[in-house]
Amino acid sequence: MDTRFIRYRKVKNNLFKGIVILFSFLCTIPLFCILYYIIRKGIKEINWHFLIRLPMPVGEVGGGIANALSGSMMIVLVAAVIAIPFGILAGIYLSENKDKKLAYWSRLSADIMQGIPSIVTGIVVYFWIVKPMKSFSALSGSVALAMMMLPIVVRTTEETLLRIPNSFKEAALALGVPYHRVILRVIVPCGLSGILSGSLLAVARIAGETAPLLFTAFGNPYMNVNIFKPMQSLPLMIYNYAISPYDQWHNMAWGAAMILLIWILLLNLLTKLVTKRWRIQL
Amino acid sequence: MENTIIKCENFNAWFGDNHVVKSVTMDIPKNNLTAVMGPSGCGKTTFLRCINRMHELAPDARTEGSLKLYQDEVYDIHPILLRQKIGMVFQHPNPFPNMSIYDNVVAGYKLNGIKLSKAERDDIVEDSLRKAALWMEVRDTLRKKGTFLSGGQQQRLCIARAIAMKPEVLLLDEPTSALDPVSTSSIEELLIDLKKNYTIIIVTHNMQQAARISDRTAFFYMGELAEYDHTKQMFISPKDKRTQNYITGRFS
Amino acid sequence: MTQLEHELQRLKDELIQMWDLVYSQLNKARISLTNFDQGLAREVQQNERRVNGYELKIDTDCENIFALYCPVAVDLRFVLAILKINYNLERVGDYAEGIARYVTGFNLPFNKSILKETQLLAMMDKAISMMEDAKKAFEKEDAALARSTFQKDETLDIINRYAGDILNTFVESDIHHFREALYAHSIIQKLERVGDQITNISEEIIFYLEAKVLKHKKKG
Repeated sequence: MDTRFIRYRKVKNNLFKGIVILFSFLCTIPLFCILYYIIRKGIKEINWHFLIRLPMPVGEVGGGIANALSGSMMIVLVAAVIAIPFGILAGIYLSENKDKKLAYWSRLSADIMQGIPSIVTGIVVYFWIVKPMKSFSALSGSVALAMMMLPIVVRTTEETLLRIPNSFKEAALALGVPYHRVILRVIVPCGLSGILSGSLLAVARIAGETAPLLFTAFGNPYMNVNIFKPMQSLPLMIYNYAISPYDQWHNMAWGAAMILLIWILLLNLLTKLVTKRWRIQL
Repeated sequence: MENTIIKCENFNAWFGDNHVVKSVTMDIPKNNLTAVMGPSGCGKTTFLRCINRMHELAPDARTEGSLKLYQDEVYDIHPILLRQKIGMVFQHPNPFPNMSIYDNVVAGYKLNGIKLSKAERDDIVEDSLRKAALWMEVRDTLRKKGTFLSGGQQQRLCIARAIAMKPEVLLLDEPTSALDPVSTSSIEELLIDLKKNYTIIIVTHNMQQAARISDRTAFFYMGELAEYDHTKQMFISPKDKRTQNYITGRFS
Repeated sequence: MTQLEHELQRLKDELIQMWDLVYSQLNKARISLTNFDQGLAREVQQNERRVNGYELKIDTDCENIFALYCPVAVDLRFVLAILKINYNLERVGDYAEGIARYVTGFNLPFNKSILKETQLLAMMDKAISMMEDAKKAFEKEDAALARSTFQKDETLDIINRYAGDILNTFVESDIHHFREALYAHSIIQKLERVGDQITNISEEIIFYLEAKVLKHKKKG
């Protein structure tokens, strides 16, 4: 009786273990499918010229994505410059003033902002910036992306700082250190790895966004480094080329997709490295 | 009492409506080790934190009555200056995890933006670590992170960090409650040694610890100072019934 | 009740048992002396071993309580008092045995008039009643009763002081009384010590109850 009962429980246990393993394996399949598909289609497009040349008109061979690559980098960089300091400061405020009304509302709005569809952000920025300035611009694209980054940076910063024990703050205060120095010299350095990895992940998240750029950065077939003018970016280019009727452009879209993918993978790797390197044992 | 360094008169502290420290009057003598005991929630830690105004970190804290360091009212001294004169060590060892052992010792200077020459810094580090009985153990690993030390060593590092500021008074809030007996006794030896140069006030739950190391003991009960006397007197023949019940473990 | 309180209660019971034994030793010594009952005197000598056994046992128990429970305040005073009372009782036991030894060592009954003139028996009664008072004071935690033994000890001292002269006259009147007088003197001196031991015990009781050190002070 007893042994049968135990055997039954063992079987149940193994069954459950099997299901868990199966599903966690299944999770990885989509990633490998995407990687496989994109690499198969994109690898033959990629060479040095692909990276440094401008796109050619339809029919001509050997165009590149230099304008999209540089544009993407600039737009994301400007977005990061706007969003990261903002987000970190807001995150510090939230973690230091957990119970204030303002903190409650800004935490709530950060959470809601995370859920706003990206196309909506794009439209809002269109009405805020593009319309008054009467021109599509890279800057407006950056603002749209920054709005998407902000809640991620705020929340990761807040959560990282909340995990830092109060005792370090008390230790510093008990040494007679003024409050702002305590935050800047003790609390933030202790949470540096969390804040950095949160910011990098946010960058990775927005690097591939298309929708908010449709009405803002708009796209540009030529090289442009002026952020007040329309600018091409990788996701926009992939979108435009993929919906075009030309096979050659389809191939270029695959190539660009692969570059975008590599970029994001590198960012993720970098995040992991940063977390490891700057990890502070609490 | 001659040589009084801290003098409380009818000192009260509140958190919101919660009257935590009730009308405490006591004189703490210089270069003595005073233990503060009492059951949980009796206000002893709050009282300790009032001395260097750390309780003000709670938003609704307020105090009444007089608490003097020498002749100066503590609540007239700027907290930043006050805390440099009155150092504090906490229950859990908390060396700054982003700093080396060396930097932890001079953290009070670094974080306050006080500029020191390399030689001065070296002197302070060695002197403080020697006083904290840690120098021999860490002198070859000063550049390592403080968090690599054992719990007892970390706590001694925190003591070194506090005495590096050359304070008058050292407040310790249950400094050994997170440590094993060996580390505990090394900290106790250290405290007995340190009281030659500093006034030490220690909150402890460990009665034997209070008995072993302190000169005087204050017993807090429900926010009141129930009894304050020489430690020997307190442990052989306490005057207050509450003290007696507490130290003999007979609280009903 | 905490574990420590149980241990202390046990210790107290043990000490009271020892006290009863020593008390009966003293009593038997007195009876053997007045009735010249050498059998009873031998019994007292035999029982001395039991008193010693109690002493060792209580000693060990006190050590254990110190080591394991680290008593403080009233508990500390209690164990300290027990430790000393234990020692004092053992000494009283020794004296009782010593008195019994004189009874067995003598070949005919004591001269009644010596016992009467020197007030030896009265002294013995006094000592026994002191024993009883101290024990009651300990059991009932009655400091006033413990204090009352100090006065009785004075009487013992006075009897002791005059005993020498009285015995001297006896010996001068008849040299044959010499050995008897010598023995009587020894017994009186032992009884005087018993009084001192009981005074010590009372001091310990008062120290335990009131945390006052009375040793080497003028007693009131």
